[in-house]
Amino acid sequence: MLGLAAEEQNVLRIHIDELVFGLIAFVVIFALVYKYAVPRITKMLDERADSIEGGIERAKKAEAEAEEARQQYREKLGEAHRQYSQELEKAKEQRAAIIAEAREEAQVEARRIIDAAHAQIEADRQQAMNQLRIEIGTLSTDLATRIVGESLADSGAQGRVIDRFLAELEQADDAQQAEVR
Amino acid sequence: MSADTLNLAAEGGGGLFTPGGPGFEAPSVGIFFPEAWSWGDYGAGSPYLGGITKYAVLLLVATALTLLFLWWTTRKQTKVPGRSQSIGEIFFLFIRTQISRPMMGVKGDKYLPLLISLFLFIFAMNIMGIIPFLQLPVPSNLSYPVGLALIVYITFIVVGIRAHGGVGKYLKSAVVPSGAPWWILPLLVPIEVISNFMIRPATHAIRVFATMFAGHLLLATFAAGGWYMFNPSAGPVFGTISVLFSGASLLAFILFTAFELVIMFLQAFVFTLLAALYIGEAQEAH
Repeated sequence: MLGLAAEEQNVLRIHIDELVFGLIAFVVIFALVYKYAVPRITKMLDERADSIEGGIERAKKAEAEAEEARQQYREKLGEAHRQYSQELEKAKEQRAAIIAEAREEAQVEARRIIDAAHAQIEADRQQAMNQLRIEIGTLSTDLATRIVGESLADSGAQGRVIDRFLAELEQADDAQQAEVR
Repeated sequence: MSADTLNLAAEGGGGLFTPGGPGFEAPSVGIFFPEAWSWGDYGAGSPYLGGITKYAVLLLVATALTLLFLWWTTRKQTKVPGRSQSIGEIFFLFIRTQISRPMMGVKGDKYLPLLISLFLFIFAMNIMGIIPFLQLPVPSNLSYPVGLALIVYITFIVVGIRAHGGVGKYLKSAVVPSGAPWWILPLLVPIEVISNFMIRPATHAIRVFATMFAGHLLLATFAAGGWYMFNPSAGPVFGTISVLFSGASLLAFILFTAFELVIMFLQAFVFTLLAALYIGEAQEAH
């Protein structure tokens, strides 16, 4: 065999059997690549591309939803702020109204008390006057009795005394009346 | 480098600086003709049959390696790829974006299985040349690249006939350059025929064969030279010199092995690229 090979060492030989071996090997490899490897790889690449695209789409949708939610939240917040300020305004108004009412009531009450006090005083004064008149009458009667009883000799003098007494009384009464006014 | 050469050098015994020793015998083309394991009369005496040689065994190894790679990179397919799956996908996309799409466009995607098979198979056969103990690139036997070039040849002719709707139309588009004046055609058409249908498949096969052949011869030469020059028993001075020479040769061997790996990849790439170019050209309707 070695002798044979050495005899014809043609570098550019093409041996049919080796060529066929090579073809068979290639066909086996090609079959595996064609039927198995490439379909699997392309399928997976496509699936991945799909899922990445799907993922981007989902992310966009989620973003839009979040934006919407944020908008709603903002609106609600604004509304709450508005309501709050409205309530505050109302409360202030109510407070002012209550204060005004209370003040008015207090004034009315005060006036009423004052009036009542005036009336009471007047009544007391009237009563005192009447009392006084009665007492003065009694006193005058007593005095008169005594004067009449003890000495009627000096009737002229007595008459003057009584007159003067009454006049004084009258005067005092007037002065008192003026003082009250 | 083949065992034969090693033995040859080793049997010489002396090597460099041995007076009366054997001269350096550079590796001959004999290293590309490994002995055949034969049974019966198979392959004996026929110039067309090689018999079962180291080439056939390495072809098997390369095929097994390719199939293993394919199985390993595609066995588990998940949306979030693992390491092996990523390698398979990167390789697939490499062939598509670097070879298929630039040469044939999107409509060439259906030829991707062919291109992927070609690239993987040729690369696996090539690297047999630098795997320790195997160390014989399968395409350095012209029979193997010729088979693959033949497949590409038949493919692009069939594709051309289909794309143009008939043998005549395809041949016309392939050998009659458009826009050439009629009187130059008698000169141009034979050139085109020879170039497109004879030289093209021949160079396609010979390109990878020749580079693998030359690369292997180069590595074998460095290895044999290093072995020959290693002669520390030649005395203190000459022994040192011989060891230094031998070391330089070894360094060159390692560097050229790395260089060979690049060439092996490149040749597989070029073969596949040309296959895509030929098919794409045939596909193109002028």
